[in-house]
Amino acid sequence: MCGIVGFLDKRERADFPLGRTLLDMMRPMACRGPDSAGVALFGGGGEEKLRLRLPVEIGRTALSDALHEEGLMLMQSHPGGVYDARLVAEMEATDLEERLRRRWPDGEILCLGERIDAFKQVGSPDELEAAYAIAARTGTHGIGHTRMSTESRVDLSHSQPFWAHGLPDVATVHNGHITNYHKLRRRFEQDGYRFFTDNDSEIIGVYLRDRLAAGRSLEGAMRSSLDDFDGSFCYLVATKDQLGFVKDRYGFKPLMLAETEDFVALATEEIALRRALGHDFSASEPPPGTMKLWSIHADNEENTQ
Amino acid sequence: MSFTIDCRDKSTREINRRMREAIAEGHQRIEVLEPDARHNLGVALLSPVHVVFSGSVGYYCGGMMDGAHLEVRGSAGWGAAESMLNGTLMIDGNAGSGAAASIRGGTVVIRGDAAARAGVSMKGGTLLIGGSCGYMAGFMMQKGRIVVCGDAGDALADSMYEGVVFVGGQIAGLGNDTVVEEPNAEDRAWLDELLATHRVQGPTSFRKVVSGRKLWNFDRKELEVWKAAF
Repeated sequence: MCGIVGFLDKRERADFPLGRTLLDMMRPMACRGPDSAGVALFGGGGEEKLRLRLPVEIGRTALSDALHEEGLMLMQSHPGGVYDARLVAEMEATDLEERLRRRWPDGEILCLGERIDAFKQVGSPDELEAAYAIAARTGTHGIGHTRMSTESRVDLSHSQPFWAHGLPDVATVHNGHITNYHKLRRRFEQDGYRFFTDNDSEIIGVYLRDRLAAGRSLEGAMRSSLDDFDGSFCYLVATKDQLGFVKDRYGFKPLMLAETEDFVALATEEIALRRALGHDFSASEPPPGTMKLWSIHADNEENTQ
Repeated sequence: MSFTIDCRDKSTREINRRMREAIAEGHQRIEVLEPDARHNLGVALLSPVHVVFSGSVGYYCGGMMDGAHLEVRGSAGWGAAESMLNGTLMIDGNAGSGAAASIRGGTVVIRGDAAARAGVSMKGGTLLIGGSCGYMAGFMMQKGRIVVCGDAGDALADSMYEGVVFVGGQIAGLGNDTVVEEPNAEDRAWLDELLATHRVQGPTSFRKVVSGRKLWNFDRKELEVWKAAF
């Protein structure tokens, strides 16, 4: 049991209070996932930036120098060994990740991209808000997660959303179990993909990256995951300008969808939609074995079942 | 006069307790305001009380109830009226998975669409869906009637023992061991009355799905039927 939420503002307003909306949706989902909470907000843009988790807290000057050597400029420090940095020169995300791995083998990039801003930590949505002031942040679309761990550790690293390592501006949240995770992971590791956690949900981002690298569209990759993943899953994907869901063929996990002229909202339970968005719209459960992808640009809707 | 419960700032337990207190005090009608899709509202109500929820409800609304009349002015989450013994649950909007699962009696009306597994394992009662239903509706039902005015999803009434499913629209796929029949005069009269009673606009005609009864008893000669059913 976990709670997932997603929201996309169709009106393309730069000042849309996305943080508050996602937080209001996540709060009633806190009881589904008391272990950790996280959001990935998409807004702004222009320059590539990343958020980094390092295994030990390093002095600001030493860290700044070390990051500089890797082509990064330190922007901000957060508690718990989390740092924001800006890319000074253009660099492939995978190359950067490899360079950072050599320097800090237990560190990890939590998110990277022009528009993505992901925050996650152990604890409730209220604690996430206290640490990162999510409610004040704006954006066009985003996803959120409240986690109840069943298979793997409870720490920041195993929390969601997961950035799809190597793919700028792509993140996922997942409710359920991918039961052929070990088999898929073995195959992907043989192909050279690196895993940062023991959380089965991490496989979604790796899978999507692999399919995209093979020339599939995001929509095609999401659709084929319906056949390639076993188990129970509802997962959401957000890219720099898209939001989508995939729901397993048996409908083992709940997901409610509400779409109006103004927004697309997705949540594990309707209570999240009502608390955050009111009562002037209807909501329904998408059929099992379906997926759909929306774009923030209204004229460019990728619409599929 | 009706008794009013405002859900704001109240826990589910508090709301259900107030409902019971109001019933004990003799109130016949209860209005529940701002239910906000909370779970487990109106569960196990055992009196013929009339409860109106002013908005959407969450999981298991009216579950295990016996004789109450519930109206939902919104949608319902998973397992609406699950294991109900008797009474009515009227849902103005859509219903999540497993609506009217395992009910033994009474009537569930969903004016919108029902998600997957509506009316599974029904042991009596009636489920009326004004819109369409998702896959596996009526799976292993044993008694009772499901009426779908719109389309039905895949694996409809899979492995049903008894009971009947009426479908007005398209059937995406029939479940194992089901047979499609034409409704008889008695069926049509019953359907007309049901739709009129609940003011649901029905289609011009229905198809009737019943059990093929091949899975009732194991027969070696029909091994292929059994293999296909898994």
